[in-house]
Amino acid sequence: MLEFVNTYGFLLVTLVQSALLGLSLYFPLSAGQLSLASPGFYSLGGYIAAILGTNPGLAGLRDALGWWVYPLAWLVAAVFAGILALVIGLPVLRLRGIYLALATIAFVEVLRILTLNLTITGGAIGLTGIPQYFSTPFGYMAAFLPLLLLTLIFAYKLERSRTGRAIRAIREDELAADAMGIHPMYFKVLTFVLGATLAGMVGAMSAPFLNTWNPNQGTFDASINYLAFVLIGGSRSIWGAVLGGILLTALPEILRPLKDFRLILNGLVLVVSSIYLPQGIVGLFQRRTPKKVVRGARVEVAK
Amino acid sequence: MTLQTSDLRPQISEKTALLEARGLTRRFGGLMAVNNVSFSVQEGEIFGLIGPNGAGKTTLFNLMTGLTPVSSGTLALNGETLTGLPPFKIATRGLGRTFQNIRLFKELSALENVKIGQHTQTSSGLWSGIFSSGRARAEEKQVEKKAWELLELTGLADRAGESAGNFSYGDQRRLEIARALALEPKILLLDEPAAGMNTGEKGALTEFIRGVRNQFDLTVLIIEHHVPLVMNLCDRIAVLNFGELIALGEPHQVQRDPKVIEAYLGA
Repeated sequence: MLEFVNTYGFLLVTLVQSALLGLSLYFPLSAGQLSLASPGFYSLGGYIAAILGTNPGLAGLRDALGWWVYPLAWLVAAVFAGILALVIGLPVLRLRGIYLALATIAFVEVLRILTLNLTITGGAIGLTGIPQYFSTPFGYMAAFLPLLLLTLIFAYKLERSRTGRAIRAIREDELAADAMGIHPMYFKVLTFVLGATLAGMVGAMSAPFLNTWNPNQGTFDASINYLAFVLIGGSRSIWGAVLGGILLTALPEILRPLKDFRLILNGLVLVVSSIYLPQGIVGLFQRRTPKKVVRGARVEVAK
Repeated sequence: MTLQTSDLRPQISEKTALLEARGLTRRFGGLMAVNNVSFSVQEGEIFGLIGPNGAGKTTLFNLMTGLTPVSSGTLALNGETLTGLPPFKIATRGLGRTFQNIRLFKELSALENVKIGQHTQTSSGLWSGIFSSGRARAEEKQVEKKAWELLELTGLADRAGESAGNFSYGDQRRLEIARALALEPKILLLDEPAAGMNTGEKGALTEFIRGVRNQFDLTVLIIEHHVPLVMNLCDRIAVLNFGELIALGEPHQVQRDPKVIEAYLGA
């Protein structure tokens, strides 16, 4: 067991991290908004943690807070990502569909170029030697796993609330939702901010875990990866993002014995599942007959 | 440039007008989809809107509910201007509507569709939902109860869990009315509610619309092609042709109006 954890500790934490990043993309998608901005906020969060952990000017703060710098970084990252998402979301979420996707890709690119050129982010080399808060990579599970659980509880409760209903209504038909008295912009920006806050926190947790942080953390490739997590897993359920994140991150590792063929098989799995599983992997487990709802029973959520 | 069509002003303006449209106009490029339309709707009235295809009826509904911005003109509810407000605010002020081309949340259950309709009637925010605050739970109970009541009223309660998209045309139209009623509107705007219904269903619909008008103290605006239904149901009727209001009055008056006969029946 210990040997397994020592060997695969890093991978196991990465699986949870992927599930979280999938969820960060799922939030705006649950309101029908195809935003690919998550890697940008993830990168931002990571830089915040890296700067808090390494910047010479903040040595006094680190001495005073000790280990607490780590949770402080999550909090600061969450707040910064949330505010930035609000500022960006308000104009950008006026765009629909593919145009929104393009604008959010542009945001990720702008942030990447910025971090590539700023002194405080360490330019192309990035920031290295970020202090470790756990002795083994697996230790970081203590940060990532509770966040995943909290996020799942949050998403579960959200779906069953008035806010969740409004979000679903917008996903189904924005114009009809508008005519039903639902403020589309409010809820679209809300889901965008939720996703960004989560991605920012995951970034802040990841910087020490990965030890270094550089502009390659937030790239277009990552956007597409996270999107694949959600689409392959199933874009209409929180479990889709989680399952997709875990499976697509584990798959290349599981296929490692196949050497060079693994990339081919990996690609094949993606293509086949996107053709034959339009509802994603979780679609396989969903019942096809309508749910019986009983008057006075607990609140049911369709899909 | 703008013609004063004062002769077309409704005659009954001394009674309290709940809804007042003045010179509503919408241009799409060179096309006058709705041209200087003025009318007022009295409280409790069932007000019909008829006219040939492309006369601008649905555009007029869209102007009234804010889905299409007006080019000029105003609409006021109880003296408060609605024009210029976004659709969700107009809905909050008390205009509930259905759509000609049915816009239910098709993948969601009938029950959930009606629950969503109650958005403006409820207020619990993000965090009170996440932490299931006492108020949010009480509100949810209320929402659930009212959703069932409305489904029962529309005769859809036994299929509450089914996706709205699986319903027949007629049932979808009724579900859309239930969803609009969930807003507790002052004014219910129905865009061709009888389209796709058979004769029996149409008869039942007439009774149903009268029933909900009385039960909920509603004022109803209805676009409908089916002439017998409109004549039978409506207190007053406005006739649109090429975006202009060509007649307005009680059904028997409108029916005999030569302009209406020419525009609507003559062609």
